Amino acid sequence: MGKARNLGPIALGLLLMGGAAQAQDNSSGSSADSSDSSSGGWFHDMDVSFGGFIRPEVAFSTSNQENPNNQRGNPYDSISAPRQAYVPPNSGTALLSALGLPITLPLPLNWNSIPVPNVPLVATGTDTVTRPIAPSNNAFNLHILRGEGELGVKLTNDLKFITRVRALGDFGHYSDFRAPSACNSIEGCIDGGNPALYGGAPNYFQYQVDGNKHPNPLEWAGPNYLVYFPTMILDYNHGPLNVRLGNQSIAWGQAIFFRVLDVVDGLDLRRHSVLDYAQEEYSDKRVPSPALRIGYQLTDDVLADGYVQKFQPTVYGNPNTQYNIIPVQFTVHDRYSDDGDDKWSKLSYGMRLKANLGQWGFQAVATRRYNPDGVFRWTASGVSKNLPGTTTGGAPNLLGTAVNLANATSGGAGKALSGTPFEASPGGVYSANEWFHYASMVRLDGIQGLNAAINDFQPSTTKVFASPVQNYQQAVGELNTFFIAAGGDLRGHIERDYFQETVLGLGTSYVVDGEPGSILDQLIINVEGSYTPARVYTSPTLGKDFQHSNDYVGALVMEKYYRFTDAFPATYFVLQYMHRTRDDLFGRSLKGYGGTDTYDANATTGNPGVTNANYVVFAFQQPFPQDIYRVGFATLYDPRGGILVQPGLQYKPNGHWSIDGFYNYINDRLSGNPNNNLLGGLAFGNEFTLRVGYQF
Amino acid sequence: MHIRRYDPDYSRRHFLQQMAKGVASAGVLMPLWQALAQNGEINKAYPEELLSIEGYTKGRIKTGDEITAANVELVKDLLEPIKYVQVAKMGRRLRVAKTTTDLMRLSPWEYLEATLRNQGQARFDARGNVVTAEGKPWIGGSPFPAPQTAVELFAGLTLSWGRHDAAFYAIKEYDLSSDGDLRFNYECGWAELSPIARVCMEPKPYWPGHEDKLRYQSVFFQTPESARGTSFLNIWAYDQSTFPDLYGYVPAFKRIRQFPTDQRFEPLIPGSTLYLSDAWCAGDPLYTWGNYKIVGRGPLLAGVSGGWDPSHPNWEHGTHGGPQGKTFWNTTVELVPEAIVVEAEPVKFPRAPVSKKRVWFDARTQLPISMVSFDRRGEPYRSFDGAYGLYEADGKAFMDGKHPYWSWGHVHAFDIQTGTMTRLEQVRTISGGHATRANDPVIYDKYLTNAALMHLGST
Repeated sequence: MGKARNLGPIALGLLLMGGAAQAQDNSSGSSADSSDSSSGGWFHDMDVSFGGFIRPEVAFSTSNQENPNNQRGNPYDSISAPRQAYVPPNSGTALLSALGLPITLPLPLNWNSIPVPNVPLVATGTDTVTRPIAPSNNAFNLHILRGEGELGVKLTNDLKFITRVRALGDFGHYSDFRAPSACNSIEGCIDGGNPALYGGAPNYFQYQVDGNKHPNPLEWAGPNYLVYFPTMILDYNHGPLNVRLGNQSIAWGQAIFFRVLDVVDGLDLRRHSVLDYAQEEYSDKRVPSPALRIGYQLTDDVLADGYVQKFQPTVYGNPNTQYNIIPVQFTVHDRYSDDGDDKWSKLSYGMRLKANLGQWGFQAVATRRYNPDGVFRWTASGVSKNLPGTTTGGAPNLLGTAVNLANATSGGAGKALSGTPFEASPGGVYSANEWFHYASMVRLDGIQGLNAAINDFQPSTTKVFASPVQNYQQAVGELNTFFIAAGGDLRGHIERDYFQETVLGLGTSYVVDGEPGSILDQLIINVEGSYTPARVYTSPTLGKDFQHSNDYVGALVMEKYYRFTDAFPATYFVLQYMHRTRDDLFGRSLKGYGGTDTYDANATTGNPGVTNANYVVFAFQQPFPQDIYRVGFATLYDPRGGILVQPGLQYKPNGHWSIDGFYNYINDRLSGNPNNNLLGGLAFGNEFTLRVGYQF
Repeated sequence: MHIRRYDPDYSRRHFLQQMAKGVASAGVLMPLWQALAQNGEINKAYPEELLSIEGYTKGRIKTGDEITAANVELVKDLLEPIKYVQVAKMGRRLRVAKTTTDLMRLSPWEYLEATLRNQGQARFDARGNVVTAEGKPWIGGSPFPAPQTAVELFAGLTLSWGRHDAAFYAIKEYDLSSDGDLRFNYECGWAELSPIARVCMEPKPYWPGHEDKLRYQSVFFQTPESARGTSFLNIWAYDQSTFPDLYGYVPAFKRIRQFPTDQRFEPLIPGSTLYLSDAWCAGDPLYTWGNYKIVGRGPLLAGVSGGWDPSHPNWEHGTHGGPQGKTFWNTTVELVPEAIVVEAEPVKFPRAPVSKKRVWFDARTQLPISMVSFDRRGEPYRSFDGAYGLYEADGKAFMDGKHPYWSWGHVHAFDIQTGTMTRLEQVRTISGGHATRANDPVIYDKYLTNAALMHLGST
């Protein structure tokens, strides 16, 4: 019978009951007696088992780049950028006079018509800015202590209770960003957004959305710790029926890492994001959800597998945490709760049929789900804060003052700004250069994105004299004008919304029967494809109108074992190819691809986009004799110029200890513009990770 | 005074003559299976020197004695070379039991009944598969109880591993270094079910609709944590030239995936010296190996009884020997009057680490009692010896229907070249409450389907 180790009193009680039941079973001495739960009833065959491990995980950075999505990794912390303000074209004469400009000047026609001059002690029209955030250069990307334990209680022969707890603590000392350090006398502090995420030190683990500080069931977290139950289920198995009820994650499909049919759960990208050991795929990444899952073996060859679950979104890394992928100049308002998507009535559900017919295998998937990744768009900041009276360097901020004065009778510029997606607080975008660099990096259109932020928030944007631009040059003028007027920078506010979609998928596999020992023998070829009609995407402009497109995703997987020598066990190879038509592997619209830091003055759009994305994965595992050592290798290649290479070694000297090391090499500039491939912006992830595990 | 009818070398000469003539029939004094058919006893087929250790050693070793380094030379010819070295140099000891003469105590009752009932009906079809005279799949029991060729022995073994229609073995595995350190230990479950040749479970002899399959077999691991939920399901075609389909649940992937199945010489888990190919000395389809030939015959000391230890509530066995007293199971052996030694080569595994295997079969039951495999240089590589027995001892019994359960009790898998040892034992229950059982239809749904892998998979 199972052993109990380090169990609490309840578990020990259960164990004692199980032990008594087992002894009775032994004395009966009949295999037939012990096999029928109905004769034994509850607790007759009770058994309790427990196991787990504890594992420190450390990632050493081998790159001189910090995560550019974080405050202290922003390259403009070290790069100065020139700014020139212009008289807003829709400002009439009010601002001209406020700026000391002769009202005899022709009215400005666009954002490049009338530059605001520098008038010492009166007005700042032009300057050069470097983000007032100290850059950092962390030696460690990750310092985590992880503990996991699984308790299994067999209640009857058919019914089990299984719970798995995962606890993580980040005890690292990083040169990280602390929001109060950005406060200044001109703009004050970062006011918008959830203070737990934007107002202090990095919050490594708490997942909070607007209006709900605890959206994940069975999860408890603080800024530096996380405890949750990825599994807490009742598992019922009788005959061909298998039922699991409770918090759980579900994985589908033959493809590894490429999620074509694996559409049930979102991913939890806190901790090590997608840069963990690739050979483990998303082993601890799927977001668990309260669900009912029913598996039924229809025939020997056909398995039906259905689920219905409470919708739980993908969890992104929090601002300024090591692997955050949303630039922190944005404040994100997650509408999961505000829009009622966290209600228990918001369900995702689906069915899969899996058939194994000798050399052939087939899968069919149909789900109706909320896309857990969500989509983003500009949203009103809600931060009512007037523009400051002084600007960078302490000079008088006549532009800001003029905006304030112009709105004095209608509630103030702060009120008007609160209706726009912007907030005049530190830690935002300080220059047009920075704006376009980041827009391209996150696959957004910097020019039309600016227009969307203005057009979608009328009349508030008009009240602060913002107006759409016709081209890149005007966008630069308007952006720099507002950054100066805001006292240095603006923070952008975006919201995250969720939509239902139907995902239909098919997969087929074939096992090649070749000459023994040949390269083709026992090669498994698998093709998977999915179709999602009218999937909702984030617009590259972050406009209020999301994009809708039919989405097709396909993957080809080939895998086999091949023994090169009789001295070593066979090598396991996987070669995968994925084709996507609308978004990239991380869910970003392909229309946002191809952006650059600068454009032709008359350019009207910030990025040309691409029509499809293709990825190739090649991986292998080479165990040594007795599998004490195992070499792993994985690479992800984007033919547009990005590559991730991950060699690794696992060492298992005995049953208790395991030592894993792997290195992530990311090159996003194999061929030109990094914003044209999947890995652009991820080069900060060059690192070596070491994990030392002890299991009990 | 007991007068010997045959001198001590009579049987040795007999076996040599039989080998020289290429005669494969078992039995010295009369055909073994003829004797067994008469009264289920072997006594009439063998002279006394082959029916007791006392007879063989002229009384120098008696039933109940231990074979140790001190007396192993007396029985050197009764031991496979590796087992001899283990006793002579590594501290292994063997307790000698009385030779079992009652055939019905040497395999499951129903299997032996079917063997008697169906003898003479088996033949090979054009593809080399065992079929009845009507060309249908085999109907139960050993198809060739009086084997004339090596391939007949392996065909019978491959048809039915555990000799039950269905079996679930709760197993503990211990992997030891050459220093005798216990490096890894696992708890795992092994299930096997025959859809054909059924002798006990209804429907029989065939499970309708499944006649094209030979076997469903799965293995899964319950502990330790790193292996929990790892499971593999093999579905064997009846055609013995076809590789099984292999499905696996790997905890990191959290789902069932199909895996290539031709590599059967790989460690399933860290530290183990066992491969899928090693299962029951016949872990691969019959014709993925070839060049089967009988290379010897003669008496052998082997564990064909006393493999069950009910003194432990979970049937766990004691150990001894090796650098730390943990390398070997406490083992009971008895004199097997006639073992048939067969060699085979892995003809469909061009880069397998073994060049051939040599398997000792008990001529009475065609049960594999020992195996040694050889590396590509022809050097001894790994040895396997197990202990079987009725689960009936010390007034206790574990029943399989009307009769005591018969099965294996423990196994040694020893890597001669590295000195590493894997020990397996069949226990009552492993973690998770998975209990040993036989001929229970629930085994299929619980362990041998894709849904079962989902159920067994870690969370």
